Amino acid sequence: MMLSRVADALFWMGRYLERADHLARAVGVTSSLELDLHGVLADPVELEWTALLAQYQQPPPIHREDEDAVTAVQRWLLTDITNTGSVIACVNRARNNARSIRGSISPPMWRELNKLHWRLSDVAFQERVGESPHDFCEETQMGVLLFHGICDATLIQDEGWHFIQMGRYLERADKVLRTLDAKLGLFVAGEVTDLPVSVLQWAAVLKRCAAYEAYQRLSIGRVEPERIIEFLLTHPEFPHSVRFGLNRVFHSLGVVSGEPVVRGDTEPGRTVGRLVSDLTYLDRPSLGAAGLREFLSLSLQRCGLIGRLLQQQYSLQ
Amino acid sequence: MAEQGGTLATSDRSSPLWADYELTAAYDEMFPGGDAVRPHYAALRDSLRFTTGDAFRQRKAMTDLSMRQDGVGFTVYRAEEGIERVWPMDPMPRIIPADEWQQIEAGLIQRINALNLFLWDIYHDQFILRDRVVPPQLVLQGTSFRREFVGVDVPRRIYVHICGTDLIRAADGEYLVLEDNARTPSGVSYVLQNRQVLKRVFPSLFNRYDVLPNDEYPTTLLEVLRYVAPESAADPTAVLLSPGMYNSAYFEHSFLAQRMGIELVEGRDLQVDNNRVFMRTTRGLRQVDTIYRRIDDDFLDPLTFRPDSALGVPGLVNAYRAGNVALANSIGTGIADDKGIYPFVPEMIRYYLKQDPLLNNVETFRPAIPAELDHVLANLESLVVKRVNESGGYGMLVGPSSTRAQREAFREQIKANPRDFIAQPTIQLSTHPTFIDGRLEGRHIDLRPFVLCGERVVVTPGGLTRVALPRGSLVVNSSQGGGSKDTWVLAGGEKNQPGAEAMLGQSAADQLAGGGR
Repeated sequence: MMLSRVADALFWMGRYLERADHLARAVGVTSSLELDLHGVLADPVELEWTALLAQYQQPPPIHREDEDAVTAVQRWLLTDITNTGSVIACVNRARNNARSIRGSISPPMWRELNKLHWRLSDVAFQERVGESPHDFCEETQMGVLLFHGICDATLIQDEGWHFIQMGRYLERADKVLRTLDAKLGLFVAGEVTDLPVSVLQWAAVLKRCAAYEAYQRLSIGRVEPERIIEFLLTHPEFPHSVRFGLNRVFHSLGVVSGEPVVRGDTEPGRTVGRLVSDLTYLDRPSLGAAGLREFLSLSLQRCGLIGRLLQQQYSLQ
Repeated sequence: MAEQGGTLATSDRSSPLWADYELTAAYDEMFPGGDAVRPHYAALRDSLRFTTGDAFRQRKAMTDLSMRQDGVGFTVYRAEEGIERVWPMDPMPRIIPADEWQQIEAGLIQRINALNLFLWDIYHDQFILRDRVVPPQLVLQGTSFRREFVGVDVPRRIYVHICGTDLIRAADGEYLVLEDNARTPSGVSYVLQNRQVLKRVFPSLFNRYDVLPNDEYPTTLLEVLRYVAPESAADPTAVLLSPGMYNSAYFEHSFLAQRMGIELVEGRDLQVDNNRVFMRTTRGLRQVDTIYRRIDDDFLDPLTFRPDSALGVPGLVNAYRAGNVALANSIGTGIADDKGIYPFVPEMIRYYLKQDPLLNNVETFRPAIPAELDHVLANLESLVVKRVNESGGYGMLVGPSSTRAQREAFREQIKANPRDFIAQPTIQLSTHPTFIDGRLEGRHIDLRPFVLCGERVVVTPGGLTRVALPRGSLVVNSSQGGGSKDTWVLAGGEKNQPGAEAMLGQSAADQLAGGGR
């Protein structure tokens, strides 16, 4: 039992932080990838940054005279407060949500989020993005991790906590799906996958989903698109896989609705349950390339639907 | 105390922190004049003996950082982006000895009791008006008198559950009441936060003092809220009703709600059904028994008061009238802290309690009385003139700093509507060492203690000390460049016997000074 408005704010706090985290990682990884690709491609800037902007449905930014195109994109995605999708804007929104319900989260959580906000808002710190975006991205990711660690360690894991988890993991599933969807847009059937370019690009996909090391442990150095896709979509125990994320949403939904969702008594429960089940029993080989893309876009639609159904069910505003 | 002037004698400038500390005509909290230091400050002075300006500056920076990271502050909003100001705290604490505090405490308890009796009386039999102790038209025509509430029985006969009373010190050191805040007084969260932060950044200051803790406030407030809940509620649910995060006191709302473990609600979270108040939750509606409201009367219920208000809850007033929900503070308490009523509080104390006031008012002239009108008009240059229906420093004439044109404008207005004004002599407010630009300088301060009234009356030790940071300024409001201080009330035990403490402090200091040469 909790105020609907509070549930809403907790849910969105979780979503915005996950969004900030994912975007910060994407910018960091892309910056590093671009430097590697200079050795093997004619115009990696165009390819990688344009793809990233497209995935986030962002227009190419106007760049100042004193900076190059890459710095302009980095600034636009990381520190530009006028871009509602930027990392800084997401952190600010998460903090505003937290602020509106700060009595419902633990003081250390608020303090950490607040510290993150002030660090990222520091003008001198933001300026250093021009030299290297690494620190800014790292600070964001560590701040979000720390926040969730404190959250798990200090907050009663009751309904409110579950709303945070639902926001966090629904956003994560959505972002991993989008990353795969964008990559497959560039994927040509029969593509030679052992070229250095391809290996670097697929490794970047893993890194953007915080999955590089985990994948390496299981697949011992073989960067194979098929395995990567399957890993990111269906691995049951890896925290950044789509299946893992939606499973967490499913579980939290059960707690929030007062009983385990066994049969899916509610519309959100049924929708999440079906999607989890599709991922669990995904027959990847028989899908084919076209089938896979269809599956990804259907899954993305379902994630959107789950968000809307949650709003209805719990009268989140 | 005789008028003091000049700077402290060289012998006391043991640290450059005190270079050129000036005493003025105002009462100084730490230094009585000459070489002396007031006994309860001796240990504090000694512990700062070797503190440099830079070291102090560092503590001040840590204080600001702490406040910032805790998100303690107030916000000025401009479009999408909020300008957040950090709550300003001066690390130099204000100290109140046990015996002084006992007098303040007794005076405040007496005062809130009288105010509650007064409110019950004017909303029922109006004996005090019939006996002409308070002029009836002052109450009945006061803008904050709620005619709709005459005859309504409020729970436990308590109107004012939370009161913040502003005290100042005159040149002779006497504590005087400047005004009562009996509507939705704010500031208590800063009292608690200042203590937490000072303990973190400057623990050594506490070493030789037994400071009474102030952290019980939220617990006591929750007791009050549960005490006044409708008797039908076995395990009462209390909530804090806030206008939301854009309100300047939002930090305090969330702080108190969290410390009490109650929900912080906004008007849109509540609804009234069949004269009962419910909050909307993820599992449907849940009844609310007591509302600690931080919204003014005018905005509480669009059906009764301002129809354009979106902050309140339609039907709330009727639910309150029906006795199905309690409000703290009650509706209609504004008349008790009205500036027109203020001059009569000492009379109220005599009338209801048959006691003499333990805390005096600031001397106040009422132009409504012809003899006092002449005095006011003849002395506008030295008086502070206030409009009775305004608050927050609006509609005021500060004589000594006013222009001739301003005085003439007020003169005409006072003549036309003498009842709308009161006038008081300009009081200097006491001064207190405050960290300014690398050293300690005297700045004017006031004190707002917080009084809670439920089954018993409890005064939280200390209160909010506000300090006017510009030299010579008497304006302590945080919105106008004011700061704050942690306020210590000393325990009455042996360690804090002022004499003993001073002697110990002095001899230890002498040894240190001797050893250093």
